[in-house]
Amino acid sequence: MTEHREQRFMADAANLATEIAPERDLWPNIEAEITRPATRAGIPWFAQAAAVVALVGASSFITYELTKSDVQTSPVVTSVAFDAEFTSFGEELRLAPSFDSARNGLATDLDMVLDDLSPDARAEVEENLAVIRNAVADIKLALEREPGNEHLQGMLADAYREELAMMRRVGGLTRSVMSRNDI
Amino acid sequence: MPALLTAQTSDYSHGMAAARQPAQIDEADCIRRAQAADTRAFEALYRMHIDKVYGLCLRMTGNVSEAEDCAQEAFIQAWNKITRFRGDSAFATWLHRIAVNAVLGRMRKSKRERDRIQVAAEISTSPTAMHDSGELRDLAEAIDRLPQGARHVFVLNAVYGYSHEESSNMLGIAVGTSKAQLHRARRLLSQQLGEDRE
Repeated sequence: MTEHREQRFMADAANLATEIAPERDLWPNIEAEITRPATRAGIPWFAQAAAVVALVGASSFITYELTKSDVQTSPVVTSVAFDAEFTSFGEELRLAPSFDSARNGLATDLDMVLDDLSPDARAEVEENLAVIRNAVADIKLALEREPGNEHLQGMLADAYREELAMMRRVGGLTRSVMSRNDI
Repeated sequence: MPALLTAQTSDYSHGMAAARQPAQIDEADCIRRAQAADTRAFEALYRMHIDKVYGLCLRMTGNVSEAEDCAQEAFIQAWNKITRFRGDSAFATWLHRIAVNAVLGRMRKSKRERDRIQVAAEISTSPTAMHDSGELRDLAEAIDRLPQGARHVFVLNAVYGYSHEESSNMLGIAVGTSKAQLHRARRLLSQQLGEDRE
């Protein structure tokens, strides 16, 4: 009886629709993707920088989601506070020595934590950190051309903030060393 | 003699297909031109095969949004790899293989993502069932409720007619695993539909 019923399922399954039209046309997205220029040449620098910063935010979130189950220690809230209203530096853009020092400390701690992550999680973290650091480099280059551009300064602050946030999240660090006054 | 397939022309607009006169298009010619980076030819291939690819993605994921993303990804991958298509298999089979990879890649992304898809499938009305007639709807819904491994094998084997060798190759599993999953799927379907009917 059961065998007969199972055979009927197999016969019925062969009659299920195999061609189903999507509810929307997917071609415009596909076309946009396959015709997108492979190089960055011709893309305005500010568009590149903006895209990079947007990617940074997304990749940081992905990394956080990916690593939060791998890291045994709980991420700890620190006193780092980059409020959006303070992300513009004005004409004078300087990084305080204490910032570099604290950043290097976080990076060292991160290296140790990375050893405890799974290979996939580690690769993801390293890839995302590389994205952020490339973003910092790109924005700095743009700032050399337009040192007074407050939009770029804001993006640079965002990129630094993302880097610090990622290192804190991944490392679960307890340091409370960063504040906007360090920048 | 190359197969002549029908597809809408490049000014195709979704939802207006029925109002347009289909043009006869040579698939092999489109493949050759797409291999030479002709996006119009690739669009024609997309029009010819999107329903097959999307149908497979929808059956495998049980989720409209995921199926759209997977189908889209499959065609992007197909464009990137089309110069490697040598015609050893039918173009539709080649596309199916890429689509299966797209689905599996998406499922592998993270456990969280898989759980989300699973929950979405459980709480929503089966999106695949609406495409099937009458009594087949129960079966389509039951397939959507199968565990992922059993569902993938059942869809490829029972719905799309691939052999165990072909489906195991697409899914990256052993032939024996494919057979075991199909057996499991049949048993679970029998339990589900038996209970529903009692």
